[in-house]
Amino acid sequence: MPRQLPQRDEALNDGKRPQQRVWDLPVRLVHWLLAGLIAFSWWSVHNQHTDWHIWSGVTILTLLLFRLMWGVVGSSTARFASFVSGPRQVVRYLRGEWTGIGHTPLGALSIIALFLVIAVQVGLGLFAEDEDGLYAGPLAGLVSADTSDRIRDFHELNFNILLGLIGLHVAAILYYRLVHGKKLTKPMITGRAEVDFTGPPMRPGKWWAALVCLAIAVAIGGWVVAGAPPFGT
Amino acid sequence: MRIVNLSASAGLALLLACGGPQASQANNSQTNIGNGASPPATAAASAIAAAARPLTAAQALKIMHDRHEGMEDIGKNNKVLRRELTAAAPDLTAVRAAAAAIAKHSSEASAWFPAGTGPEVGKTGAKPEIWQKPQDFASKLHNFQVAAQAFNAAARGGDVAAIKARYSDLGGTCKACHDSYRSEMKH
Repeated sequence: MPRQLPQRDEALNDGKRPQQRVWDLPVRLVHWLLAGLIAFSWWSVHNQHTDWHIWSGVTILTLLLFRLMWGVVGSSTARFASFVSGPRQVVRYLRGEWTGIGHTPLGALSIIALFLVIAVQVGLGLFAEDEDGLYAGPLAGLVSADTSDRIRDFHELNFNILLGLIGLHVAAILYYRLVHGKKLTKPMITGRAEVDFTGPPMRPGKWWAALVCLAIAVAIGGWVVAGAPPFGT
Repeated sequence: MRIVNLSASAGLALLLACGGPQASQANNSQTNIGNGASPPATAAASAIAAAARPLTAAQALKIMHDRHEGMEDIGKNNKVLRRELTAAAPDLTAVRAAAAAIAKHSSEASAWFPAGTGPEVGKTGAKPEIWQKPQDFASKLHNFQVAAQAFNAAARGGDVAAIKARYSDLGGTCKACHDSYRSEMKH
């Protein structure tokens, strides 16, 4: 698994900037699964597949739980501790004084906002039911029908916030590409990026730790699907 | 639920095979009656197609209002039912009241969809397809009415397993119709 990272060696890189690992496989998988499932959730609920919508939401919940744990024990760039920072770092970044791999301090703000809004979206969805009372999130039975209806309204409202953040996310990627000539999408696919950073390389996580995180996330997801006993059915 | 939906649509396919699904729009008020579709569906289909005299705007809006209120009340009762029937110990008194309310509305529903009460008249969740495929819609409506009565009858008894089974059937008939004929409507 660990491989020799190419150092800054012009001869080896044919004049190209060196490639470094920046995103591990779990980070990339979670990213693209989230993107796909959010699109699928939107499509399915508007096309008479509310049952699929609910399963998609439960899967997103599981991914979020996994990512939360991977943010503690995962690779160095996956860890919250490595990219959650205060305003001072953001200012440093904006002044061009920040160097590193992984999320920039400004990008990290966007990631944290996205993560929170998706978590709120999924959390609301668990307690929501549809207008006709034909479909309900796995925890809707824990609240009254009126509360569940109101939660659905917030679920719909919060989706607009999520759409706004996704729009900002995509706009920022386009901005970096068009204005700074920086490709951000390819590294999220290949895991590698051309970076000038000469500091310590990305430290990968353990594959078995990823499996343990996944197992715990799936177990919690299953518990929620079962209605969160003993609180629900 | 899937299985319920499948069997409902299989039954529907049989009905349609008898009735000839794609009759021309102009003729479907009367000429289809003799074509051999099952009597209740055909009778309902004639109620869904154009009335002898077009509705006045006030009449149409009144029907649409009643329809909306009725559907909303069915939804409310359905939410009570889903909660009770997924709980460990269902409150059968609440279940019976909700089942009776839905059965009552299901009978009223025969008069809810005359031609001229679609989205061209006012705000409604009823899709124009209702009046483009009156036979299919009528048979789905009929399935709902039968299922609502059967559920109401089961609810009066004390067999919770039977009540749940009839409730599941009922939900299948709601979905079968809403999937094709209900649009999202904000109010």
